[in-house]
Amino acid sequence: MSNTKHIHKGLQERLLDLLLIALIVYMTLKGGTSGACAACKYQRRRCAADCPLAPYFPAEQPKLFQNVHRLFGVRSIVKILEKLDETQKPEAMKSIIFQSYVRDRSPVHGCLGVTQQLQYMIWFAEEELKAVNSQLQLYRSQPQNGQNQNQNHNHNQMIHELGSDHNKQQEDVTSQQLDLGMGLNVNNNQSNVVTPFFSSLLPVSETQQPQMSYTYSCSEVNNNGYSPPAYNTDSGKEILTNNNNVWGDQNRFLYNNNNGGGYSNQNESCHEMKSNGVMAIQSQLVNLQMVSNHQRVEEEEADHEYDELHQFLDIIDDRQSFGDSKEA
Amino acid sequence: MPKRETKKIKPSQEVIKEGPFLVAIHLKGIYMSNYTNSPCAACKFLRRKCTSDCVFAPYFPPEEPTKFANVHRIFGASNVSKILHEVAPHQREDAVNSLAYEAEARLKDPVYGCVGAISVLQRQVLRLQRELEETNADLMRYAGCLGGETTSAYGGRRG
Repeated sequence: MSNTKHIHKGLQERLLDLLLIALIVYMTLKGGTSGACAACKYQRRRCAADCPLAPYFPAEQPKLFQNVHRLFGVRSIVKILEKLDETQKPEAMKSIIFQSYVRDRSPVHGCLGVTQQLQYMIWFAEEELKAVNSQLQLYRSQPQNGQNQNQNHNHNQMIHELGSDHNKQQEDVTSQQLDLGMGLNVNNNQSNVVTPFFSSLLPVSETQQPQMSYTYSCSEVNNNGYSPPAYNTDSGKEILTNNNNVWGDQNRFLYNNNNGGGYSNQNESCHEMKSNGVMAIQSQLVNLQMVSNHQRVEEEEADHEYDELHQFLDIIDDRQSFGDSKEA
Repeated sequence: MPKRETKKIKPSQEVIKEGPFLVAIHLKGIYMSNYTNSPCAACKFLRRKCTSDCVFAPYFPPEEPTKFANVHRIFGASNVSKILHEVAPHQREDAVNSLAYEAEARLKDPVYGCVGAISVLQRQVLRLQRELEETNADLMRYAGCLGGETTSAYGGRRG
């Protein structure tokens, strides 16, 4: 009797084990093939066919949902989505996912940090543009009054035939300038100077390289950029002005902080340019690029987020790479 | 109605009387809750007792009730509290300000929120970059003009 009882007990235990294993296998299989979205998986609930979050949170990217859940919470998202049209929902979710991603990467400043960086970039580009424009003005006024003009006249007198009158020389000078402007193929030594004029077509010269990489990073934003087609520009501007009014103090501080070194260097090199002429202009341009480089090095930590932002914009287009970029 | 004990406030702290019954005190909320027993905007909104260790009190003063209301409506008080606890104390003010900005932006533009502003700024940066590139090219062309003339004029000496 005791033997049969023992065997019976053993069988029961085995059966229980088998049941457990079957249950585990069933649950894992169900979880793997049911296609529950990341939101429902995270909340451990059944993902219904009409789950409002399923289209935006695929099961393969749980981190996306975690970010959004941490910042907004499911209830807030559903509330936001409820008020919107069907066509606006995907855009809204994109912006929510992006905002949450930025907050995950930068818990202190979030999107405001990105906004401030962009505002600083705009300020910097405007200052750079001003400096370049003022030099351009200087250049435009220089050949008419400066010594170079006389030297060019003398030079032209040497080159051209001796008997040519002054008016003809003027025409020569202007035509020479125009020709040189179009492309200085004759003078091989100066090819570096002219190359940037065709920067979009020709390989970039050494002095131009840093700036080109800078622009490239920006054009990268545009290509993959967040470009809402039906975006209301006025509301964006309104937000910006509010940002300046209400939270702009740090911003101004940032601007003033970074204002010091770079621009004074540009001014110094501008004076240098006046005295030394063409070579100084080249060095000045290098300086400008050096300044922008230096600025970038200073801002490297902050730019970081911005770079990551670009990565994320890639990811929005191609979400498959999300995991890799996060690991990297 | 909590009693406002303005006498206990340190003399260096500025007190501005805006009306016969309204006293606006320019202080951090923590001092408010400690000294005047006035709950912070968060605790007022959530109708709970504002303790001395209230995480919201320093950043949501009772004078700005909409700041907390916006943040609470978009992110929820518990999420904000979690974020504040994750951030170092000296960075919390910045974090709250950025959250308030984002919440306000989201309320004004439920579709794009602050991302819309980022998009506008990005376009502006790109436009400026393009303009800068063009102006630089012009400058280079001028430099090329003068450079060619100068080297041809002084070519013998330099070369």
